[in-house]
Amino acid sequence: MAVADLLGPGRPERPGAQRGPRAEPAPQAQSQSQSQPQPQPQAQTQSPHLDALGAQGAFRARKRATVTDVCGAPVAELSLVPSLFVDRTVKALHRARPMDADQRIAAIGRAAELFATADVAGQSVAAYEHTVSRVGGVPLSVVRATTQNIRARLGRVYDSLTQARPAGTAEHWSSPLTRTGRAVWTRRGETFAVLAAGNHPGTHSLWPEALALGYRVAVRPSRREPFTPYRLINALREAGFGDDRIAFLPTDHAEADTLLRAADRSLVYGGEDVVRKYGGNPDVLLQGPGRSKILVTADTDWRPYLDTITASVAGHGGTGCVNTTTVLVEGDPAPLAEALADRLAALPVLPPEDDRAVLPVQNAATAHALEAHLLTQAAGTRAWLGGDGVAADLGDGSAVLTPAVHQLDRADAPQAGVELPFPCVWVAPWNRADGIAPLRGSLVVTALTTDEQLLDELIAEPTIGNVHAGDHPTYWMGPGLPHDGYLAEFLMRSKTVIRD
Amino acid sequence: MSSPDHSILDLPFDVQPDPDEFVRAAMDWHFGPETGSPFWLRRAETLDFDPRTDIRTHADLARFPDVTGELRHVRAQDLVPRGYGARPDVVGVFESGGTTGAPKRVVLTRDWLDRMVAWSNANLDAHGFPRGADWLGLVPTGPHIVGEFFRRSADTHGTRGFTIDLDPRWVKKLIAAGRGADAGAYAEHLLEQAEFVLTTQDIGVLTITPSVLERLAGREDLVELVNKKVKAIRWGGTQLDPDSRHLYRTEIFPDIAFCGNYGSTMILGFAGERPGLADEDPCVFDPLSPYVTFSVVDPATREPVAYGERGQVVVSHVSKTFLLPNNLERDLATRLPSLGGPGDAVADIAPVATFENETVIEGVY
Repeated sequence: MAVADLLGPGRPERPGAQRGPRAEPAPQAQSQSQSQPQPQPQAQTQSPHLDALGAQGAFRARKRATVTDVCGAPVAELSLVPSLFVDRTVKALHRARPMDADQRIAAIGRAAELFATADVAGQSVAAYEHTVSRVGGVPLSVVRATTQNIRARLGRVYDSLTQARPAGTAEHWSSPLTRTGRAVWTRRGETFAVLAAGNHPGTHSLWPEALALGYRVAVRPSRREPFTPYRLINALREAGFGDDRIAFLPTDHAEADTLLRAADRSLVYGGEDVVRKYGGNPDVLLQGPGRSKILVTADTDWRPYLDTITASVAGHGGTGCVNTTTVLVEGDPAPLAEALADRLAALPVLPPEDDRAVLPVQNAATAHALEAHLLTQAAGTRAWLGGDGVAADLGDGSAVLTPAVHQLDRADAPQAGVELPFPCVWVAPWNRADGIAPLRGSLVVTALTTDEQLLDELIAEPTIGNVHAGDHPTYWMGPGLPHDGYLAEFLMRSKTVIRD
Repeated sequence: MSSPDHSILDLPFDVQPDPDEFVRAAMDWHFGPETGSPFWLRRAETLDFDPRTDIRTHADLARFPDVTGELRHVRAQDLVPRGYGARPDVVGVFESGGTTGAPKRVVLTRDWLDRMVAWSNANLDAHGFPRGADWLGLVPTGPHIVGEFFRRSADTHGTRGFTIDLDPRWVKKLIAAGRGADAGAYAEHLLEQAEFVLTTQDIGVLTITPSVLERLAGREDLVELVNKKVKAIRWGGTQLDPDSRHLYRTEIFPDIAFCGNYGSTMILGFAGERPGLADEDPCVFDPLSPYVTFSVVDPATREPVAYGERGQVVVSHVSKTFLLPNNLERDLATRLPSLGGPGDAVADIAPVATFENETVIEGVY
C-alpha cells in the first residue's frame, strides 16, 4: 500500500523534513489480544494474522511468513520479528518480577481452562483444533485428545513440580526449616526461551512448568504449527500473566540464535543438526531425536502385546519422539514384523480433519521427499509394509504418510536409528551378545521381558530416558513423571539457607 | 567529436544536466586519448563499440560490460583520468569490503568528494540534522571510503568528527568461521570506546552500522545517553530491516532524526534516504543522478523489473572522476520511480538470499 503511494503518477508529498516524536502509535503495536479482535478464519477471505506478542503487546511485523495447510493453502500470516525485537523483549522479561507462586499456579490453571474451553484470541476451541489438524497434518482426534492432555497437565502443574523437587529442599526460604539450615529450591536464571517443535501440539505442555517456577518465558514457535503456542500464550496472558512475563516471538532462523543468547536458559527441539549446533552449550536443554524402542526377549511371547506394540508405533499419529522407531526381537523377527505390518496396513488413508483419521498428513512434496528418503535408507532391508512407498496422495496437494515396516538383519544396522515423522518402524533381531548397546540413545525403551538383570541394565543406562517394563506403550506418560528428565532439573538448583 | 567541452561534467550537485548530453560529454572525457584513464583507454580497445560515437544516451550505457571485477587487479594510478593533469587532487585510494575475494580499488578525487558531500549535506538538512554538531562515527576507516565521507561530512555539515575504527573484514571472517561470540565481543569493544566519546563530548550526530546500532540498543545505559545527547542518527554500511527501523524510529529513539544511506565503494559514495517518508513507507533511497544511477533487474535476464517489484540492484557511476557502468550488486530491492533524472529509486534493500537445500532432515520436529 505504501509502495503503491510511491508509485503514483504524482511525486510523493514531503510532509516536512523535520521529524519530531511520532504522535501516532505504531499501526498494530497495541495492547492485549483481548481487546484486539482477531479475524475469524471462516469469515475472512484474507488470512488472519498471528502477531508477535512482545512485552508491550501485540506487534505486527512487516516481515511475515505465510503459514499454509497441508494442501499449501494459506491459513495465516505469521509476523517474524527482528533480533532487535527479540533482544528487547527478553530484556523486558528479565526486568519483570515474577508473580507469587500461588498466583502463578492459579493463573496457569485458569489458562488451561481457557485454552481447552474458551474462545481465545477470537478463535473457538473447535476452530483451533481444526486449524492445527489442517496445518500440522495431525489427525483431528489426536489434536482433540491433546487439548485435554494440555488442560489436565497444566491443571496439576504444581503437583508435578512438587514431584520434581528434591525431597530435602524447602519450598521457600521462609520455611522454619531454614532456621536450622536447609536447602531451598531456587531458579538458575530468570528468563527461559523455547525453540518450539511443530510436530505435535502436546510438546507445548512442557514449557509452562518454567512459568510455574517463576521464569519469564519466550516461545519461538515452529513455523509449521504456531497456533498452539499462540493460543496458549494468549490464554496465559488473559489468565493474568503480564505481557512482560510470557512472550510469543516468531522469527526467521537467524534470529533464533539471538533468542538463545538473550535468555538465561533455553529448551530447543530439533534433530541431529540441532544437537550438533547446541550440544556443547550448558544453558541449552536439547530435545533431540527420540529413537524410542521396544525390546522383546525370548522368554516373552509378543503376541498378547501386539496392540501395545502397534500403538507404540502409530499412536498419536506416529509423529512423536515417544513413538517407537525400532523393535528388537530375540529370535526370528519376521513373525512380529508380519503381524505388525498387518495391523498397520489396516489404518485408513484420510485427510487429517476427518474424525476417523489416525495417520499424519503432510504437503505432498514433503511427503514424497520423506518417502524418497525412506526408500533410500531402506535399501537392502526386507520390506513388510511401505516398501513401494508411503506417500498416499489425497489429490488436493497433500498426502497421507502411511506406515512402513522394515526388517533389518542385525540390531546395530544403521537404519535402526532412522526416526521419521510418521509410523515407520524397523524390526531387528536381538541376541544376548548384543547386550543393551543397540538400545542406547533411546528416549523410551519398552521392555517385554522377565529378565530383571536386563531391566536393571536398561534402567542404569544413562543414555536411555525412560524404561517401561511390560505392557505399556512407549508413548505412555504419567502426571508428574519426567519426559526426558524433569525440566525442573535443568531450571532449578538447591541452595543452602541458614538464618537466625 | 569536435568540441571537447567538458564543463557539463563540473556542475554543482543541485544543477541537473541533461542526462544524455552529460553522458556524451563523459564518454568524450573518458575515451578521449588526452583525458581518459589508462584503464579505460586500454579497455576500449576490446569493446565492440566506440563509446564516443555509439553511446549517445543514458540508456546506451547498458551496452558496457560489467568490468567491476577488473578493479581487483588494475593499478590504481591507471584509474585516474589523464585530463586531471600531472598532479590530480586525489583524496585517496579506497577498497571494497572484500566480501567476495580480493578487494576492488577505486580512486577518489577532491571534486567528486565535494559534490557528493554537498549533495548529502543537503539531504541531511532535509532530514532535520542540526548543522554544526559534533559527530561520532562507528564506521570503517582505513581502506574504506565511508571513513573519508564521514570525516568530510562531519567537517562540513558538522563541526568536528570523532571516529571509532571498525574493521568489517575481520568481522566477516569471524562470522564466516562460526565465531559469532567473537564478533559480538568485537562489537562490545567498539561500544566501550564509543561510550567514552559519548559521555565526555557533545555528540549531536551518530553515524553507525545497523549491527553495531543493534548492540547499542541492547545497552539501556547507552540508549539513554544517546537519547539525551544525540539529535540525529545516520546509519549505513549494511541493510536495516523495516521492522527494526520502525522500532528505532518509534520506540527506541523517538525524538532523534534517523536517516539511512545505501552506499557502495563502487559508486564512490552512497544514496540517501528520501526525506519525509512515513512510518509505513518502505525505506527509499535516491542516488545523486545522473552521476550515480540504479536499475533493478531480474538477475536471470538482466531486464528491469516492473515498478514496485523486487529485483537485483545494478549500479552505474558516471562522473568526471570515474566510470563504472552496469555493476550488478549483491542486493535485492524494490524498484521505484526516481525523483527525476535517469535511473530508479530503490527501497527495502536486502541481501540476495542464499537458499537452503531441500534435503530431508531426519527426526520428528
